[in-house]
Amino acid sequence: MTILEVKNLSAGYESDHVIQDISFSLEKGEFLSILGKNGSGKSTLIKALQGLLRNISGRISVKSKDLFSLSPRQIAQKISYVPQIFSFSFEFSVTETVLMGRYAHQGRLGGSSPDDSKIMDEVMALTKIAHLKNKKIAHLSGGERQRVFIARALAQDTPLLFLDEPSSHLDINYQVEIYQILRQLQEEKGKTILATEHNINLAIPYSQQIMFLKNGGVQALGPPESLITKKNISEVFGAEVEIRENIHSKLPEISLIPGAERKT
Amino acid sequence: MMKVKSKRIILLFVLIFLFVLSFFLSLLEGPVETNFGNFWDFLFNGNGTFKTIFVDLRLSRALLAFLVGASLSLSGAILQGYFQNPMAGPFVVGVSSGAAFGAVLCIYLGLNIRLLGVSLQSLFAFGSGFAIVFLVYLLSQKKGVFKVETLLLTGIAAGALASALTSFLIFFKSESYQEAVFWLLGSFSLADWNQITAVLPYFLLCFTVAQWLAKDMNLLVQGDDIAQSLGCSVNRVRKTFLAVSTLLAASSVSVSGIIGFIGLVVPHWIRILIGPDHRYLFFFSSLTGGVFLVFSDLLARTLLSSTELPIGIITAAVGAPFFIYLLSQRR
Repeated sequence: MTILEVKNLSAGYESDHVIQDISFSLEKGEFLSILGKNGSGKSTLIKALQGLLRNISGRISVKSKDLFSLSPRQIAQKISYVPQIFSFSFEFSVTETVLMGRYAHQGRLGGSSPDDSKIMDEVMALTKIAHLKNKKIAHLSGGERQRVFIARALAQDTPLLFLDEPSSHLDINYQVEIYQILRQLQEEKGKTILATEHNINLAIPYSQQIMFLKNGGVQALGPPESLITKKNISEVFGAEVEIRENIHSKLPEISLIPGAERKT
Repeated sequence: MMKVKSKRIILLFVLIFLFVLSFFLSLLEGPVETNFGNFWDFLFNGNGTFKTIFVDLRLSRALLAFLVGASLSLSGAILQGYFQNPMAGPFVVGVSSGAAFGAVLCIYLGLNIRLLGVSLQSLFAFGSGFAIVFLVYLLSQKKGVFKVETLLLTGIAAGALASALTSFLIFFKSESYQEAVFWLLGSFSLADWNQITAVLPYFLLCFTVAQWLAKDMNLLVQGDDIAQSLGCSVNRVRKTFLAVSTLLAASSVSVSGIIGFIGLVVPHWIRILIGPDHRYLFFFSSLTGGVFLVFSDLLARTLLSSTELPIGIITAAVGAPFFIYLLSQRR
């Protein structure tokens, strides 16, 4: 079943379009990784797909509904988002932060319902943050913080989950931990996941589809087995690499060549 | 560590106690020597002279100080959330000074009248306060992110300019130092029941709106994109909050002049005590701000035996060092 369909999507911040003419679709339960250089439009795409940008054209349908006709509240019931940059002007606790994910399901006044509490307990257990409950966000490590923001997105209880570079600023052990949580969500909860990623080797074993973005457009789209080639990496990133087989997953893996000339 | 819930309950009781104490002291203290016996006399024997002193002079003054303190602190709590910055406040971002200019302009244009119960003076104050905050907003924002330094510097500069214009108007028209001091440093010496009716409805309206949108503010301080992705109608909520915080500051300033820093420090204290959740922050900031200003006014009235101090001196003496301390704490 197609859950997300994007046709001729162009979007940007001011007058120019950063991403141009992007079309793709996502089946329920799939994991799509968006790869590309810095400035290729990854973050712009992930924002545009939730209707966060005003300078936008094209069509986005979520479960065959036109995204642009939905209110922020209605969108928040379908798509949840784990952003890349967090600000800490105010010291909210872990519980308060995760509870914000329930906003789109709550009334204006009154506290949390028994339903809310149940979902809160569940997502905090899933992301292994129950023991951090009363801590302030600012006092957490990068990996813990990322898990809190994933928990908040899960509390939204949406079929679609978008993540903007979930592994950035994380140590290697946390990177795998986060992706294991995502795989678990995909397998046990049937979540459809879309994530931008810097680390190509991290994205390969977890994704059913990979999209290469270049200069705001789709350069290539398909399963990692067929997409991860020397030629593609060279074209998208301007980097000379070797492709080999990962000894565990048997999937392709890129191997950097020390001293190789950078192509432009 | 104590749970937030019990902290809130304790704070509520402490504030209620201080509230009662502040009103009690305000009623007994004044230029005419009064004691508890006089108060008793008024309460149970209906002594007319004492009624004038206690109700028309002192109660109205304490009540006005409370309402203005509550309004300014609520305005500060909203602005801090709005700019995602705990250093903001109606004085620091220039709204108060802008509003004072509007109020003075209205008086000198001879438009100091009421239309359908709304005083034109508050409208003028609102208009010019809004103009300033909007200017500061435009100048300090870049791609939806507020730069703290730009925000504070623009706000303080715009406020200084508005105050200079206010002073110019006053000296141009009346050459009255007293009036200039009233507008630039604030005072409750002119308090009466009319002024209370000029502040109370705005406060009640704005407080209700703020409380209604308190959850949205919790999302808004996470950043606009995040707030919207969590389901908040960011544009509408932002507009409402800006209007509400300006209205609160403008209605306060038009009855009592500029009283600085209270809107900055009070929400700060509350956040340290019970955390940043705006559902409670708005309520407790209002209550604390009100009580704080009643005590400040008591101090302004009694510190010097010969004369009354402008209340802005008291609030600046408390608030400005705190502001500097906050600046020095920034990483």
